[in-house]
This record gives sequence, structure tokens and C-alpha cells, in this order.
Amino acid sequence: MSNNNRREIVRTQDVRKVYRMGSEEVHALQGITVTIYAGEYISIMGPSGSGKSTFFNMVGGLDKPTSGEVYIDEVDIAQLGIFELAWLRCRKIGYIFQTFNLIPVMNALENVSLPMVFAGVGADEARDKAAALLTKVGLGHRLNHRPPEMSGGQQQRIAIARAMANDPAIILADEPTGNLDLKTGHEIIDLLTELKEERGVTIVTATHDMKMLAASDRVIWVTDGKISRIQKREELDIKVGSISGEEA
Amino acid sequence: MSNSTNKHTIFADDGGGRRQLTLPWGQTIHMCWGNIRNRAGRFMLIFIGIAVVVAFFMSNLSYQGMVDDLKASAGTEAQSRLNQAAEAVRSDAKEYEAARAELEDAIHAQAVLERAGFYSDTISEKKQGDQQVWLMLLSGILCLVGITNTMLMSVTERIREIGTLKCLGALDGFVIRLFMIESVFIGLVGSLIGALVGYILTLLQVGMVLEFSLISFSQAIQTFFKGVPLAVVAGTVLTVMAAVYPTYVAARMKPVDAMRVEI
Repeated sequence: MSNNNRREIVRTQDVRKVYRMGSEEVHALQGITVTIYAGEYISIMGPSGSGKSTFFNMVGGLDKPTSGEVYIDEVDIAQLGIFELAWLRCRKIGYIFQTFNLIPVMNALENVSLPMVFAGVGADEARDKAAALLTKVGLGHRLNHRPPEMSGGQQQRIAIARAMANDPAIILADEPTGNLDLKTGHEIIDLLTELKEERGVTIVTATHDMKMLAASDRVIWVTDGKISRIQKREELDIKVGSISGEEA
Repeated sequence: MSNSTNKHTIFADDGGGRRQLTLPWGQTIHMCWGNIRNRAGRFMLIFIGIAVVVAFFMSNLSYQGMVDDLKASAGTEAQSRLNQAAEAVRSDAKEYEAARAELEDAIHAQAVLERAGFYSDTISEKKQGDQQVWLMLLSGILCLVGITNTMLMSVTERIREIGTLKCLGALDGFVIRLFMIESVFIGLVGSLIGALVGYILTLLQVGMVLEFSLISFSQAIQTFFKGVPLAVVAGTVLTVMAAVYPTYVAARMKPVDAMRVEI
């Protein structure tokens, strides 16, 4: 598989991030350079405190680097103002959270329409598209139910539909299977993979879930604020085989 | 600079500035109402807090106003009836009897006021008035702190929700609007309840300290329209003032907060 002729969607160049904790400086990221291509399924792995989350947030346009550059779809996010960053998050990135984070007072249809309304799509158009997306994720029969009335798997499906609402280039998923049981987790991963194949969307996940790793095209391992290794799926297969054996 | 061309690429499919990045009013209000309904218990506390304070304000002010009115009218009424009676003495004995009865009524009204201590000891009355002002100030501040605290709690609970909204593209302005509408709504409902309770208290107070028969219908109506709108506006302003800080905290939240798992 050659990456040379594929479109770059995220590119980081020697990204560093320094936090101040009292009088101490914490170097969360110490020079990360990586390129993610359109249509890839990437998993970011690393122990807690490794800078994994910081890097993940950087890729998702949620945080700015102290030095270095982060390009999302050819745009340097360090150069963006508040308004443009909001725009970027709204149109280019879809977010999926471990805790689903649906708006509890809105029904499924309204939740999925929300990003489109923020993007200025007309109400009718947004409704139609939201209904289509919900049907796509298998919830066409529960459009008017509110999140508290649904199971975790169903809520995560709504969240996926919401993430897809503005046809983003990247879907950022933070432990999307973390709060789900094994079977539901599998279904969610299958759904994400399907969306990737069908719509060519790039999926970036932070996870500890071996099922997720098995679905990834590449796995980026972060240790001590640096990339320790990048593995392709081919290199992972053997490992995952034994692990899924344990699960079964 | 390459930066400008970069920006051009990202904003190219914008469709000619259709950047709304905000919700229509209907949906915003729907969200606020839903939130209030979801936290009904907590907001009930705020409602009661505002209602009690507004009722207290209202009954104090309206009561004073009504008594002042009564004093004035009782005084002039008594005077005019006295004059009438004197006139009657001169003209007709029969009319004199009727006038005297009326006079006795007027004197009775004045006596009631006197008994309640409204013509006596202006120094202790002033002291009492000062105490009332302090009490009202104190209850106002307590109410302010209570509302601020409750709303801050609601903001902390909704960290993830606010963060998510920001991830989806909401700007600070939208979050501010959301919380401001909520506080106006709470303030309006709370102080309306308070004002009505306060009005009823006023009538009861005047009736019990003095006599119910002294309150004329027109005076009751007048007191209502003088007091209730003022109380509602004051209560709402108080609530919005209390909501300023929590709203600021909410608006300053970062989208990253949506990722938090432990709350």
C-alpha cells in the first residue's frame, strides 16, 4: 500500500505541548511528526499520562500546540481564531465520545440535526438528512425517542449519526466502545468501518480496546510524549488473533 | 503568505457566508425549558427563593403604601364629614342625625388607625422602617447568592453538555444566550408567583392589623397594578444578575471538557 498518492488529511510537524502546573513545566508532547491520510482508520494507543489525549485533542482541533504545526485538511489550526475553530469543528470534524454526550432534552432527530443547524442548514433539509442518517445507523424506528429512553448502543449510534451530520473529513472517537458491552462494541466498530468504506471518512480513535485495534489500518503508539512506533494492520494481525481467541 | 490560501480552501464550500453557528430562538427556548424540567427539584428551590423574597418585598412596600393611602383618605374624609355635620346642625335636625352617624363611622376609622399606632411615635416608626430596609437588603443578597450557587451547580453538571455543544460548533454567544434565557425564565415565573403571594399577604395584613372593611375595591386594584409589575421586573433583574457569573463560567468552558469521563 503506497501512501504517496493519497490525500493528506492531518499532518503534524514537530508538535510540542507544554503545560504549566504551578511552578513546574510538564512536557506533554515532545515533538510529534505524523501524517494521516484521507480514508484511514487510525488508533492512538498509549498508557495514561503518555500524552495520548493531548495528541488526540490536537488532531481534533480541540487544543493548540505550544510549538510546531498541526494541519487539518491543509489548514494550520494555530492560525485560526475562535470563530474559525468553531467552524472547523462544526464542518470538518465529527466527535464521538465514550459517554455518548447526547443532549438529553432533545430527541434523536433533534440531536442529529443540531450540528447541521449550527452549520446553517435549513430546518427541513436538516430534518430529512438526520432521518436518513438515523435510518442508516439502524434507528429509523426511534426518531422521536430521547436519549435517556435508549440503550448505550443505541445512544452511541445516534452519536455516530450526529458525527456524520455535516459530512466531516475526520471522525474523532474517544474510546467509543468504552461504555459498551462486547457485542454492542463490535456492532459500533462494524458501523464505523462501514462508514469509512462507504464515505471515505477518516477515523481517528483513542482506545484501549483490542477489537478497535483489529479494525484499524494503523496504530500509533505514544509513550512519554513521543511516537514510539507505528504499526500497520498486517503487523497487528497475529497479536489480535490470540486476543480475540481469549475473548470468545 | 500560504496561510490565506489555506483558509480559502477550508472555507471554499461555505456557500456564500451561510455561517449561522447558532440556533433559532424556538429551539433555544425548547432546550432551556427541557433543562429546567429535567432539574425540576433544584429549580423549585430557586423558584421558592425568589418567590419568598419578592413576596416579602411586595408585602412590605404595598402594605406601607396602602396604609399611607388609608391614613390620608381617613383624615380628609373625617374632616369633610365634620364640615358637613356642622352645616347640617345649622339646617336640619334630621339630616344632622344621619351626618352624625356618618361622622361616627369616620371617627371609628381614624380610631382604628390610631389604635394600630399609625399616628403615634414617629421615631420608633422610622427605626422600624430602617430595619425593614436592612431586612429587605439582606434577603435580596441571600437570594442572589442562592441563585448563583444553584446555577453554578447546574453549570458544573452540564460541563459535558456545554463542551459537546462547543465541539458541534457552538460559539460562546450561544452558551451565554442559553443560560440567560434560562435565568430570565426562572426569574419571571418565580417573581410572578412571589408577587401574587405578596399581594394576597398585603391585603391580609391590612385587613388583620386594621379592618377588612377599610379596603375599598378600587384601592385593592390600584395596589395590584402598582405593585405586581414592579415586583416581577425587580425579581427578574435580580435573577439575571445572579446568573451573570455562572453564565460566564459556562461560556468560558473549552470543547475539550466534553471528553471528560469523570464528573
